[in-house]
Amino acid sequence: MNTHHHEDRIRVLIADDDEHILDCYRVAFEESEHTDHMQTLDALAAELFDPDTDVEDAPKFEVVACNQGDDAITLATEAADEGHPFNVVILDVRMPPGIDGVEAGSRIRKMDPDVPIVFVTGFSDIPRDELERRVPPPMKLHYFNKPLSFIQLAKDVAGMVKAH
Amino acid sequence: MRLGSHSLAIQSLTLVGSLSTLYPPWKKFMSNGLGSLSLQKKMSATLFAVMAAFGLLSYLILNAVITPAFDNLENDAAEKDLIRAQRAIQADLDKLRSNTGDWAPWDDAHAYVRGENPAFISINVDIPTLINLDVNLVLFYNLGGKLLWGQLVRDGEGADLASLGVFGEGSPLTERLIAHSTIESVTTGLLPTNLGPLMICSMPILKTGEVGPIAGTLVMARFLDDARVSRLSEQTEVDFAAYLIADARVNTAKPLEVLAGGDGNRVYQQTTDTEILSYSLLGDVFADPFIILQARTPKDISALGGQTVNGTLFFLTFAGVLIAIVAWVLLRRVIVVPLETLAKHIVGIRRSGDLSQRLNESRSDEIGALAHEFDKMTDEVQRARGLLLDQSFKAGKADTAAEVLHNIRNAMTPLINGIERLSQSFRVSSGMRIKEATEQLADPDCPIDRKAKLLQYIDASFDHVESVGESASGDLEIASKQARQVEEILAGQEKHANVEPVFEVLDLDEVVDEAAHVMPQAEAADLHVNMEMEVGEHRVRAHRVGLLQVMGNLILNAYESIQRSQSNAGQIRITASSETVDEQSMVRLTICDTGCGFDENIRQKIFQRGYTSKQGHMTGLGLHWCANALAGMGGRIQAESTGFGHGAEFHILLPSAQGG
Repeated sequence: MNTHHHEDRIRVLIADDDEHILDCYRVAFEESEHTDHMQTLDALAAELFDPDTDVEDAPKFEVVACNQGDDAITLATEAADEGHPFNVVILDVRMPPGIDGVEAGSRIRKMDPDVPIVFVTGFSDIPRDELERRVPPPMKLHYFNKPLSFIQLAKDVAGMVKAH
Repeated sequence: MRLGSHSLAIQSLTLVGSLSTLYPPWKKFMSNGLGSLSLQKKMSATLFAVMAAFGLLSYLILNAVITPAFDNLENDAAEKDLIRAQRAIQADLDKLRSNTGDWAPWDDAHAYVRGENPAFISINVDIPTLINLDVNLVLFYNLGGKLLWGQLVRDGEGADLASLGVFGEGSPLTERLIAHSTIESVTTGLLPTNLGPLMICSMPILKTGEVGPIAGTLVMARFLDDARVSRLSEQTEVDFAAYLIADARVNTAKPLEVLAGGDGNRVYQQTTDTEILSYSLLGDVFADPFIILQARTPKDISALGGQTVNGTLFFLTFAGVLIAIVAWVLLRRVIVVPLETLAKHIVGIRRSGDLSQRLNESRSDEIGALAHEFDKMTDEVQRARGLLLDQSFKAGKADTAAEVLHNIRNAMTPLINGIERLSQSFRVSSGMRIKEATEQLADPDCPIDRKAKLLQYIDASFDHVESVGESASGDLEIASKQARQVEEILAGQEKHANVEPVFEVLDLDEVVDEAAHVMPQAEAADLHVNMEMEVGEHRVRAHRVGLLQVMGNLILNAYESIQRSQSNAGQIRITASSETVDEQSMVRLTICDTGCGFDENIRQKIFQRGYTSKQGHMTGLGLHWCANALAGMGGRIQAESTGFGHGAEFHILLPSAQGG
C-alpha cells in the first residue's frame, strides 16, 4: 500500500478477491514505464511528422488494492481520515468469505456521498435498480460485467474523475 | 324456588371460580373461551354442560309441576276426610232418627201420653232396652209440653236427668225442641249440655201407621262423646275429633277466625310437617255453632310425591349420566379419535416433510371423505413437489452455470486484457514511421538537427519494439495460463455437473455422518485419526449435495492437514450449536482438527480462488468453491488457527430450519 501521495495522480481503491484480476488492474492503471516510453515516442513522432498535432498527457493513477470488502472499508476510512480520499472506488461484487461488494459500497457511500463507485462482477444476478437503491445516487454509480478491458476502464475512470 | 335457583347459580359461579384457580385447563377456558381447548375437552365440556342443564331443568320441572299436583291431591284428600267425618256423625244422627221413628208412631205410646196406657213404660221401656237401642236419653212429653217420663243413661246405669242442665220445665229451649205442628215434623241435631254434646231427635207421637192426631213428643238422644267419636273414626278410617269451641285441648282460635269469618269458608286447613289438619264447624239443632270438627290426614300423598320426584330425578340423573357416557364413548370413537388420527397424520407430514404417508381410511362417512380428500391432496402436493424439485434442479443448474460463468469471466479478464494490451502495442508499433525516418535520413538535404532527432526517433522506436516484445512474452504467458485455468474450471465443473441444487430441510447429524465417509477407509499404518461427532439434533435449510461436498472437503482437508503435520495420531472433532445472527436463527457447525494449522497470512488468503496448501493439487476449486457454495445457501465460512502446528477450526454458519 502506497502512503506517498502524488497530487496529480488519480487515487483508485480496488477490491477483488482474485489476485490475478488485481494484477490486471495494476498493469492497466500503473504501467508507468511503458506509458513513459510511448509518450517519448509519440512526442518525437509528432514533432518530426505532424508538427500541428497537440500531444495530450495520459492520466496517471495511484492504485490501492485489497481482496476483501471489509479491507476496502478500512482503507477508504483511513484515506479519508488522512485527508486523501480516493477519487474512485472499484469493487468486485462477490468476495467470499467476507461481506460482498454491494455492502462495502453501501457503507463507503454513507462515508463519502460524492465518490464514484464502480461495480465489476462476473455474475449478472444483481439487478441494476437494487444497486441504485443500496448505493445511491445513480449518477455516481457504475456497473461493468467481466470480462472487460481494463485499459478502457482506466480511460473511463479518468473520464469519471474529470467529470466529477 | 326463585331464591333457590339464584343461590344455586351463585354456587355454580363460585364452583367455576374455584375450579379456574385449581385446574389449569379451566383457567385456559375461562380466559380464552372454548376455542382454545382440544376437541375432546370441548366435547366433554359440552356433554357436561348439557347434562348439568338437563339435571337442573328436570329438577325445576318436577318441583314446579309434580310436587304441587301431589300437594293438591293431598289437600283434596284431607278435605274429603273431613267430609267423611261429618257424614259419619250425620249417619249416626240418621240412625237415631230411625230409632225415634220406630217408637213415636205407636198406638201404645200414643195412648200412654194421652194417659190411657199407664203400664206402657214399665212394659216397654227400661234401661237395658235403651242400652240396646244405643240411646242415652228418652223423654216422653204430652201435648201440653209436660214431661211424662224421662230416663238418662250414663255408663250403663240410670242417671239424674237434671244433671244435663237442659230439659227444665217450661224452658224456652225445651219448648222449641218439642214443638211439632205437623205429623211430619222432625227435629234432629246436636245439643250442648252440661255433660257434653248430645245428638238429639224429637218427633211427634202418633198412632201406628203415622196417623194423627199428635198426642205428644218423643225425644231420644245419645252423647257425642270421645268414645263415640273414636268408634266413628274407626268405622270411617278417618282420624278425627270433635271439640267444643272452648275446649282447652285444642287451639281453635285461627280455624274459628277463618270459618266464622263470614267469607263462606266451610273448611279450614292447617299443614304441619307430618299431617294436614282440616277443620269445620258443627252447629246445634238451632244452627248455632258450638263444635269444631278436626280431621287429621297424614301427609302420605306428598311424601309419596316427594319419593316419586326423587326417584324420577335419580332415574333421570342415572339415565343422563349413562347416555352421556355412551355418547362420549361413541363420539370419541366415531369422531374424536379419527380426527385426532387425521390431525396427527397432518402434523406428522408437516414435521417430517414425508409426503409418501397416506391415511387409507376405509370409512365412507364425512371423516372418511375428508381423509380421502387429504390423501388426494397429498398426492397432488407430492406431484407438485416432484415438479418443483425438477424445476429447482433446472434452476440450480442455471445457478451452477452462473457460478461457472463467473469463474470463467474472472479467468478471461486477464486473458482479454493481455491480448488487448498486445494488440495496442502492435498497433502502436505498426503506426511507427521508421521507414519514413530512414528515407529522410538518407536524404542529403535533411538538416543536421533533424537527422539527430530522426536518429533519436529510430532509437526510441527500437526500444519500444524491444519492450513490446518483452511485455508480449509476459502477456502471452499470462494469457496461456488463464486459458489453462478456464480449461481447469470446466474440467472441475464436470464433477459437479450432476449436483441437485435443491434447498431442503436437512438433519445435520445425517449429513455429517454421510460426509465423514470421505475419510480414507484404510488409514496409513502410522496414522490414527480419531473422528468425534457431537452434532446433536440441528436442522438446516441447505442444498444437500452441495453441503455434503463442502463437509467432505473440510473433513478431507482436516485429515490431510493432520497427515502433513507428521504426527502419527490426530483428532477431528465436529460440533454444532444454535445462535442468532442479525436476528436470523443460524446453526454453527465447527470442524476442529489437530493438524498443521496456518498463520494469519494464509488465513487471509485461504478462501481466495486458486489458493491451496496442498502440493501437487491445483484444482482451484477447494475452499473458494466451498465459500461460494455456502454463500449460495445463505451461509458463510470462517477459518481460525493460532498458527502452524496448532491445528485449525473451520466454522460454517447456515440458516436454521428448526421448527419449520
